[in-house]
Amino acid sequence: MTPHVLHQLPLWVEGDLDAADMAVVDHHLDQCPDCRSAAENLRASQIQLREAMVSPFGASDRERLRRQVMVQVRAEGAAKPVRRLLPRFALLVACAASLLLTVFLRRQGPAAVAPEPTSAPKGHQHPAQPPPALAVRQDPLPSHTRGPAASARKAQPPAGPTRIEFQTADPTIRIIWLAQSKPLPDTTPSLEEKS
Amino acid sequence: MFPGSEAALMDEGFASLPEAPAEDPVAPLIERILGGEVNAFEDLMARTEARVLALAWRMLGDRHLAEDAAQETYLRVFRSLHTFRQGERFEAWLVRIAVNVCRDLARKRGPLPLPLDSMEMLPRDPAPTEAEEVTLLGQRRALVQQALASLPQGERAALVLRDLEGLTTEEAARLLGVRPVTVRSQAASARAKVQAFCTRLLHPHGGHP
Repeated sequence: MTPHVLHQLPLWVEGDLDAADMAVVDHHLDQCPDCRSAAENLRASQIQLREAMVSPFGASDRERLRRQVMVQVRAEGAAKPVRRLLPRFALLVACAASLLLTVFLRRQGPAAVAPEPTSAPKGHQHPAQPPPALAVRQDPLPSHTRGPAASARKAQPPAGPTRIEFQTADPTIRIIWLAQSKPLPDTTPSLEEKS
Repeated sequence: MFPGSEAALMDEGFASLPEAPAEDPVAPLIERILGGEVNAFEDLMARTEARVLALAWRMLGDRHLAEDAAQETYLRVFRSLHTFRQGERFEAWLVRIAVNVCRDLARKRGPLPLPLDSMEMLPRDPAPTEAEEVTLLGQRRALVQQALASLPQGERAALVLRDLEGLTTEEAARLLGVRPVTVRSQAASARAKVQAFCTRLLHPHGGHP
């Protein structure tokens, strides 16, 4: 008779032995009543284990858990919405819109870039130019000069670049462009040549 | 012996966790949640909560603690869903979080109360009535649960993941952060101890079951 396999039975019972060892154990169990009895007891114990550890939770327990979790999830979701794709998409849209707006403003002429130009040539000034469409805000002064003091400084041409702000659909994302109103040296002659 | 037990385990999601299935059925739900549709999380829970509750209860052996663990698991899932990698199986990710939560809670709780010295009140009637059968079943369950409670945490986790949750040895090893051979050895040790525990308490004088 082959050697007893009692020490291998806890692995054998769930198929954790390799094929060769499984065959050896099976062969021994055919010959040895003691080991076979131990193997049957272990198998019965595993069945009892699975039967005893069936989940005690019912549908009402699961619904209660779901309610409790969702209360917190909704509170956290409202405070800090889960975002992964949205910011990327919003940023992409904002960049595309900015690019289109820049092209549009450049086509309108240098004065359209800055309704109250700061460093553009005097001959190109158009003070009555309407602001661009969409949710664009043009501010000739940097943000730190806005407020009550801004109207007082309106008469003086500011030295800094024009400020263009976009408010995206997401209230936490705002795109700010600082646009230089002075036309590029190589574009102005080409426009003049066409006219 | 217990014909309904396998079916019940299947209902709880007694299935292995393949690494990269063709398409995860909860992927659209995850996209909706990440897109800001928080209520879709409820659907995600409805699909997976039975398994999480069962796993937590098996790991911790306490109903209330298991409910706390399941709640904490889902909150962690919600808070870190943006870190979930596309293409990974969600249920494997969820089970990993649940196992970590259970291990944290088990560490905080400390060792379980000592098991009973004997269960001699179990009836030995060879032909029990239906009512006696129900009582006997309840006592057997209590006995097995005591046996699990007597195991070291590592052995219990290996046994639960390998034999009750249906994971392969390699999957359980990945979840527990140990080598497969460790899981194999811990699960085997746990099986032997559970059997010895039940035999000792059912037959304290050395009789056969």
